[in-house]
Amino acid sequence: MNKFLHIIFAGFLFFSSSVIHALEVIEILGGKASQIPIAVMPFKSFGAQKDIGKINSVIKGDLGRSGLFYPLDTRGVAASPNSDKEVNFSQWKSLEAQFLIIGRIDSIQKEQIKVSWSLIDIYKQQTVLSGEYVGKNNQIRAIGHKVSDKVYERLTGSKGVFHTKIAFVEKYNNQKFKLNIADYDGYNITTLLDSKMPIISPRWSPDGKKIAYVSFEKEKPVIYIQEIATGKRKLLANFKGNNSAPAWSPDGKRLAIVLTYSTNSQIYLINTDGSDVKRLVRSRSITTEPSWSPDGKEIYYTSNQGGGPQIYKFNLESSEVSRVTFEGKYNLYPSLSYDGKLLLYLTQDQGKFKVALQNLQSNQVLKLTKGPLDEAPVFAPNGHMVLFVYKNYGKTTKIGTVSINGLKIDPLPLGSRQVQEPAWGPIKN
Amino acid sequence: MKFIKLENNDELQANLFSFAIHLALFLVMIFSVGWQTKTPYYGEVELWDSVPVQKKINKTQATPKKKIKQKQNTKVQKSAEAKAKAKAQKEADIKLKKKKAAEKKAKKLKKQKAIKELKKKVLKQEKIDKLKKEMLEKEKVERLQQQIIEQQKIEKMQAELRESELKQQKKPALEGEDEVKGGVNTGELNKYKLLIQQKIQQNVNQQLCGLDYITLEFRISLMPTGELLGQPKMTKSSKIKSCDDAVERAIIQSQPLPLPKDSGLFSKLKNLELKFHPNGVE
Repeated sequence: MNKFLHIIFAGFLFFSSSVIHALEVIEILGGKASQIPIAVMPFKSFGAQKDIGKINSVIKGDLGRSGLFYPLDTRGVAASPNSDKEVNFSQWKSLEAQFLIIGRIDSIQKEQIKVSWSLIDIYKQQTVLSGEYVGKNNQIRAIGHKVSDKVYERLTGSKGVFHTKIAFVEKYNNQKFKLNIADYDGYNITTLLDSKMPIISPRWSPDGKKIAYVSFEKEKPVIYIQEIATGKRKLLANFKGNNSAPAWSPDGKRLAIVLTYSTNSQIYLINTDGSDVKRLVRSRSITTEPSWSPDGKEIYYTSNQGGGPQIYKFNLESSEVSRVTFEGKYNLYPSLSYDGKLLLYLTQDQGKFKVALQNLQSNQVLKLTKGPLDEAPVFAPNGHMVLFVYKNYGKTTKIGTVSINGLKIDPLPLGSRQVQEPAWGPIKN
Repeated sequence: MKFIKLENNDELQANLFSFAIHLALFLVMIFSVGWQTKTPYYGEVELWDSVPVQKKINKTQATPKKKIKQKQNTKVQKSAEAKAKAKAQKEADIKLKKKKAAEKKAKKLKKQKAIKELKKKVLKQEKIDKLKKEMLEKEKVERLQQQIIEQQKIEKMQAELRESELKQQKKPALEGEDEVKGGVNTGELNKYKLLIQQKIQQNVNQQLCGLDYITLEFRISLMPTGELLGQPKMTKSSKIKSCDDAVERAIIQSQPLPLPKDSGLFSKLKNLELKFHPNGVE
């Protein structure tokens, strides 16, 4: 009997292997930088304020700004389904939707709401993700950002940055400056510092609790570190000459700063308590704008050692210096993505300053913006978006986001504020 | 070896015998034999072309009056007769000679004619042979030319095949060729493979697959309408969930896939293995 079973098994194996060999193989290389069409229906409100149902516009804004999604116009769609069982899949397919977000808001207590939501896969015809958040009425935007983060992570594999904060400097009344903190999309602005003197180069600590910045309040640039929660601050660097361009190490224990202590601008390392100051690169040329690699082993910076400004990197273990940018004569302001694979910088291209992205594996360069006077690009903490300053045809200066596929540029809704020097805070766990 | 020698000796003997016979015959012809029993009379003879004298002699024989004269005449007659006889003999000999000469001449002529004919024949044969040779040569040339043409055709086909193989190496599939292999038109097969490849590729959102060189593999089964029979089965993951999902969506989104109406071709394409390299290959 056993022998018989063995023969059958062997026969089955032979048959299955022959079937495998008979398969035609099609190789598919590459693809497209396309956007996922997604429909976000207005959330149904049960006892809650009506306008709260507009949470869908927050989610649509978030997903659209990422450049990876294409929020569909659902105004013509009559009724929003309550669950995947009520979804007319052929209708959504005809709208070319790949995903659908539906939800409801229940008033559970006075000024407290519960938001329930579902992400439905139109092709698979099933709910792939769902969740609930409870919060206050005035937290509806934050809840919307959290839903966006979850959807983004489920569909892209990367953490969403829609619940993060940004910092930026606002110039007002001509000679006054504010260091502001806001939601990533420019809402919920709070002021961390108000100064009569210019403020530049705000940088978030890796834990998101502090901000280092350069202030001119001592009639020369000096570096402060300020706690966001308490507003307490301390002077980190007030050395002879200029103190500027702070950059936090990934572990948050040190900063790279730029001093004109001995000669011209040079990079130094300093502990967060102001101790152990040492010069990083020994060079007669200018070395400035330091930025750490995510593993903390290298520092990328701008130098004119080759003539025009170019980006170099310094290995902290071997003290080796190597040039990184070769395309274009004028490259500056480097920063690295969280995985260290992409380098972001500002490049001068045909007389215009544009935001450029270099793949450090292939060294391919993609210009994300068209200029003409873009400034200060910084990565979102997931590396999928960039915050930068652009001038609206010389009239006003705005801060905007650009997706790293270059498909979506979106100015933050900051009205007529004169804004500059943006910095993107980390993702809070 | 011995046998050949013997054969050669026989041939030699036959040749000698033949030569002797011919010689004998020649001698006979030259020194002809008189077949009369009487000894021939020898005398001087005048040779004329014609013989009118004979009539005169006949007249004198008719005169009986003069005996002496007759005797004399008889003698004369006898000698004349002998003379005539000799003359006749001679004439006969001459005639024979002439006849023989004529015969010889005729023979010679015949021989010459035969030779001529033979020559003619030979020439004709030669001409035929030449023609045949020419024809053969022509045929050979034509065959050669045909062979060259065939060779060229083969070479062209081989070149095309090589080119198509190269193209196939560059592309997963290509269109246009019509080679039939195992009852399946590979040109058509490749055309549909290319169409399927293009349709799916357009829907792969590579942004969801990071930056590394990754590979994913799926197996799909298709209905003749181009719709999927069941869900795509992932046999190799990219280890990036969003990428795996994006590629699966691309396959589903590509429905209906372009498929041939021919059942033989469809049977080749109804089960497919799809290999994806969203960020290209190293």
